[in-house]
Amino acid sequence: MPQLGYRHPLSLIRDEVIEIFTRLGYQVLEGPEIEDDYHNFEALNMPADHPARDMHDTLYLEKPIKSAGRPLTLLRTHTSAMQIRHMENNPPPVRLVAIGPVYRRDNLDLTHTPMFHQVEGLVVGKGITLADLKGTVSAMARELFGSAEVRFRPSFFPYTEPSAEVDIRCFKCAGAGCALCKKSGWIEILGSGMVHPAVFEAVGYNPDEVTGFAFGMGVERVAQLKWGVGDIRLFYENDLRFLEQFGI
Amino acid sequence: MKAPLSWIREFVDVKASAEEIGALMGLRGLPLESLETHGDDVVMDFEVTANRPDCMSVIGIAREIATAYKLPLAAGGTKVPPLQPNGNVPITIEEPELCCRYVGAVADVTIGPSPKWMQDRLAMCGVRPISNIVDITNYVMLELGQPMHAFDLAKMRQGKIVVRRAKAGESMTTLDGKKRTLSGDMLVIADAECAEDIGGVMGGASSEISSATKRVAFEAAYFAPSQIRSTSKKLGLKTEASSRFERGADRTAPPRAMARALQLLEQIGAGSFTGDATDNYPTPYQPRTTHLDRARIRGLLGMDVPDESVTRILSSLDFDPEMTSTGWLVTAPPWRVDMHRQVDLIEEVGRHHGFEHLPTTFPGVEQAPPPSDPRIARDRRARTALLGIGFSEAISFAFIASKAAEPFLDGQEPVAIANPLSELFTTMRPSLLSGVIDAVSHNRRHGRPDVRLFEIGTRFSPDGETRGAGFAWTGLATPDHWSGARRAVDFYDVKGVVDQLAAEYQVTPSFSETKKSYLVEGRTAAIVVNGKTIGVFGQLAPAIAAARDLPATDEIYAGEIDLDALSAAAPAETLRAAALPKYPSVVRDVSILVADTLSAETVRGTIRSAAPETLIQIREFDRYQGKGIPDGKVSVSFRLTFQSPDRTLTDDEVQAAMQRIMDALTDNLQAVQR
Repeated sequence: MPQLGYRHPLSLIRDEVIEIFTRLGYQVLEGPEIEDDYHNFEALNMPADHPARDMHDTLYLEKPIKSAGRPLTLLRTHTSAMQIRHMENNPPPVRLVAIGPVYRRDNLDLTHTPMFHQVEGLVVGKGITLADLKGTVSAMARELFGSAEVRFRPSFFPYTEPSAEVDIRCFKCAGAGCALCKKSGWIEILGSGMVHPAVFEAVGYNPDEVTGFAFGMGVERVAQLKWGVGDIRLFYENDLRFLEQFGI
Repeated sequence: MKAPLSWIREFVDVKASAEEIGALMGLRGLPLESLETHGDDVVMDFEVTANRPDCMSVIGIAREIATAYKLPLAAGGTKVPPLQPNGNVPITIEEPELCCRYVGAVADVTIGPSPKWMQDRLAMCGVRPISNIVDITNYVMLELGQPMHAFDLAKMRQGKIVVRRAKAGESMTTLDGKKRTLSGDMLVIADAECAEDIGGVMGGASSEISSATKRVAFEAAYFAPSQIRSTSKKLGLKTEASSRFERGADRTAPPRAMARALQLLEQIGAGSFTGDATDNYPTPYQPRTTHLDRARIRGLLGMDVPDESVTRILSSLDFDPEMTSTGWLVTAPPWRVDMHRQVDLIEEVGRHHGFEHLPTTFPGVEQAPPPSDPRIARDRRARTALLGIGFSEAISFAFIASKAAEPFLDGQEPVAIANPLSELFTTMRPSLLSGVIDAVSHNRRHGRPDVRLFEIGTRFSPDGETRGAGFAWTGLATPDHWSGARRAVDFYDVKGVVDQLAAEYQVTPSFSETKKSYLVEGRTAAIVVNGKTIGVFGQLAPAIAAARDLPATDEIYAGEIDLDALSAAAPAETLRAAALPKYPSVVRDVSILVADTLSAETVRGTIRSAAPETLIQIREFDRYQGKGIPDGKVSVSFRLTFQSPDRTLTDDEVQAAMQRIMDALTDNLQAVQR
């Protein structure tokens, strides 16, 4: 009997996310994985000596790759770089998700790999608010996890102001407290915020005219939470005994 | 930042438990990382974000808690008479850009241990108690956030304090006992001759407080964040002081911190202030005032915050809001180095009003979404095709070991990583095959005899990025079941994979023999579309398989195709459905003997060029070498199908066509009909 192959779990999540946001009217972009310092950091309100660069331990190329504009010197640490490229070339409104591999100089352990996949959303237009962000991530959480109750905790990212970490109500114990949510009833799923005016200025948008929100989430983390994968490294071993658990 | 609850309560009369405080502060932007009980006290470890150096202090944390609980902030032990500098300490600042303020004060001291309560608090905050004088400087830093230092004044030549750049090649031994060579871009605190302290980073051993110290000079200064950051990075030296200065300290704090230190000095009986103090302050702080527009708060947050809440929150955080007709003119306190724009104020208001009050709304769609990256749909087609042929999907790291990359470079330079995590991740992959082969190897070594894997991903070269699909197949080609014959995978199976993958894009590739160091010679084919090679497949060279720990007996077939090139070759015009043929087809078989060095492609081409348009399909259905066939020859059988869209073909015209084909095969390829 003929046999079908099995999808990689990260690819399943990726397609699920793409489907959700396509249905919400977003365009989906991928963008280059090798970037320049400007798009990965500077235009995102992280000048050279910014302490927040410590949050992104960056992998650099020995020899830059030549490009039409600035030489490409590093592996992108987030897909936000793609958002900058898009805004540079397209006037508002914007409604996109950028998805793909990103790279950080993190050692391998249960929850870290030096390459992982990110999905980031960006919505820019007249009158976009933090409450709109809440509605959007709540819709996404309902689709992905079946849990629509979200909680915003103030945080800090250089490219958003205000910034917030977003938790969803634990979908396993419905908030009662279990091992998955470490007894807190909440699970952190993404970082987000209102696009910093300095980012708008860098791409030539007028921050007095438009506002926007952005959010970013790890594809591996979603898969780990959703399917109870304890060790993130399993995603990169490609062991068929693992892959064959996720259906076709 | 670790802070004992008892210390926090000196500044804010909060009745809630440590757990309750932690839970609420998590919703106000100062999350609790952990709690630890110390006797009858609790140490609260708060996670302070990079933009809030002011919260790297007990008073800073207390201020946030006071605002969250709507309580007043008390001055606690920091309520001391202001410092009255007489200017008698000789302080020279040669670099006012890098050190905007330097307060020095001289005290006579008796060195000994600090009292137990002070030692306990330092220990709870993770700072090791050393001596009464050093402990005072650390205590003030933890309480107010202003790092301090103390020099043994007897060791400072001519009693001078000079803030200058290090001289090229100058070296000094720091308090951690390491000898450090300084460079001209670093800032030091020197005496009349030598560097005695790396300003804002770490003090020097030669002027260290010892049991013999009788007179000290206390330092409370402001150093420019970028300066501290670059020095700390260069020396690989991160200290409690440097981590505060590099985020931005409070320029108005040094005299307050000094007054507090001198008061503690007397309080714990460690010595007395001589009355000599200097406040060298070349560039005074200019308060920043920003207008906060009432409408903008709602416009950005999407929730209403009552005016009185705005005023209360800002005042409680020590901002000075002055009501205007459209909002407030707000002056930020000097320690809020993160306040630059109106949005920063809106965040303060939003987080303390509480994001839990945010309504749930949804942004309206203003326009039809522009198209997504075409590669997403395109790659999905390749993925679907490969899954359908029984290949499972792999995802591997895009960086590989340089040795693993080598065979796939094809003469191109590798894209190397300057600061790789390990030897295993030094080079951006030039090909997907290395990852796919590793995945096959992993599965073979874990007891899987039959493996079919593919990966779709990015390949890297000095010319940029391309997207490809790589695949590998080893073991059985047929299902492992009693109902059918078992057969191992061969060259033609992987050729079939390529055909089907290409068919997904309506492309019919041709194949030509080629050589690749990683594939077995003679079992390697280039995939050619429109005269351009867009991929390759064949049997994996045993040396490569061995290098990836694959069993020596394994035959692995692998291939890779450039999806960018393949999809570019897809016909642009929309597919048109053809009507089903009205007239019957005629099938003829032909068997010939040809040299076994001829490729099937050549024979096929010869047939095609000699045949009329009515030849619609050529299928090679048999191939035989051995008994009855002369050496160097091979018997091949083709099934040819003829059909016309507008008439029934006659036997004669098919026969004539067959004759022309046979003549061409005989003339061009010296074929013999069997």
